[in-house]
Amino acid sequence: MGNVNIIIDGKKVRVREGSTILEAAEAGGITIPTFCNIKGLLPTGVCRVCVVEVQGSKTLVGSCHTPASEGMLVFTHTPRVVATRKVIVELMLTGHTGDCVNDPNAENCKLHNLASDYEVGAPRFNVKTPRFYPAEESNPYVRRDLSKCILCRKCVKACQDLARKNVLSIGYRGFRSKVVSGFDEELTAEACRDCLICIEHCPTGALGKPVKV
Amino acid sequence: MSDKKKTTSGGESGAGLLPKLKLEVERKDYLSRETMAGVAGQSDLPLNSVYAVASFYAYLPVSPVGKNVIKVCNCLPCEMKDVPAVVDGISREIGIGPGQTTTDGKFTLELVSCIGACDQAPAMMINDKLYGDLTAGSIAGILKSY
Repeated sequence: MGNVNIIIDGKKVRVREGSTILEAAEAGGITIPTFCNIKGLLPTGVCRVCVVEVQGSKTLVGSCHTPASEGMLVFTHTPRVVATRKVIVELMLTGHTGDCVNDPNAENCKLHNLASDYEVGAPRFNVKTPRFYPAEESNPYVRRDLSKCILCRKCVKACQDLARKNVLSIGYRGFRSKVVSGFDEELTAEACRDCLICIEHCPTGALGKPVKV
Repeated sequence: MSDKKKTTSGGESGAGLLPKLKLEVERKDYLSRETMAGVAGQSDLPLNSVYAVASFYAYLPVSPVGKNVIKVCNCLPCEMKDVPAVVDGISREIGIGPGQTTTDGKFTLELVSCIGACDQAPAMMINDKLYGDLTAGSIAGILKSY
């Protein structure tokens, strides 16, 4: 397996063949924001936040799942990329309902942080039926507030591939997609391993430790 | 990317899941928690994985359905040919909206993805029968025949 040389934001980076653009950027000390990527696992590519410009490509590409090829020219923060990321965040905010202001789990919400970094204001999109799920507080280990879920699948992958328990899956389809446990019921204490790995990986306030009243 | 951890997709034990689920629907009309747990056990899969697959498909109901299931297509060609009027017509005739079942258990109304009858839009299926080129006027006659 050889090496490839690519140029990211004007910087020459050399990585092993088969590495993704995201890995190359990291090797070169360049940060590309991600929501759905778990280092060490196969990329998911659903959040689209990591998109970058590649010379010769008509469309932006997801840096987490696109392999770096010899001589590739990558631009991670062009006006086009920034404008696209802003809309992506805006779309996520549209489906991200719930009381974030008063929620202690929301302090470290990566979505809100990125929205703030990119100066994304309140979403302009009107939704006929706002996406709302009541918070699930019966589990002693995990509090689930799916109104804040951005469907990044990190909890599903973490539970499946890191904890090796596989208690979460994506049910339904389209706008009704939901992270489900069991028969789409509250996460039982029996099913859950209490490893807290899902909470660790959740980028928003959707998963957190139970809040003591 | 070959040195990454492989994702266990459960593909091996998920083999043949759809036919198993379809068989259960033919036997029992819908997939109750008990039925689904049985299939999950047989397939060596957690319940959530089986629920995820079943809930994706309109033809694998995960909640009780009426004797006759009306599936109205709400994809773009049908939408453009005034499917909302068809849905209103059905609602007026049998008194239920999408996702509901009549109190006598005779009909369940669902909005589904493309049923492949775009040349006869707007279209619907009642059980296994296709009805195309629907108008608000033709609905009553069709429903009365059930």
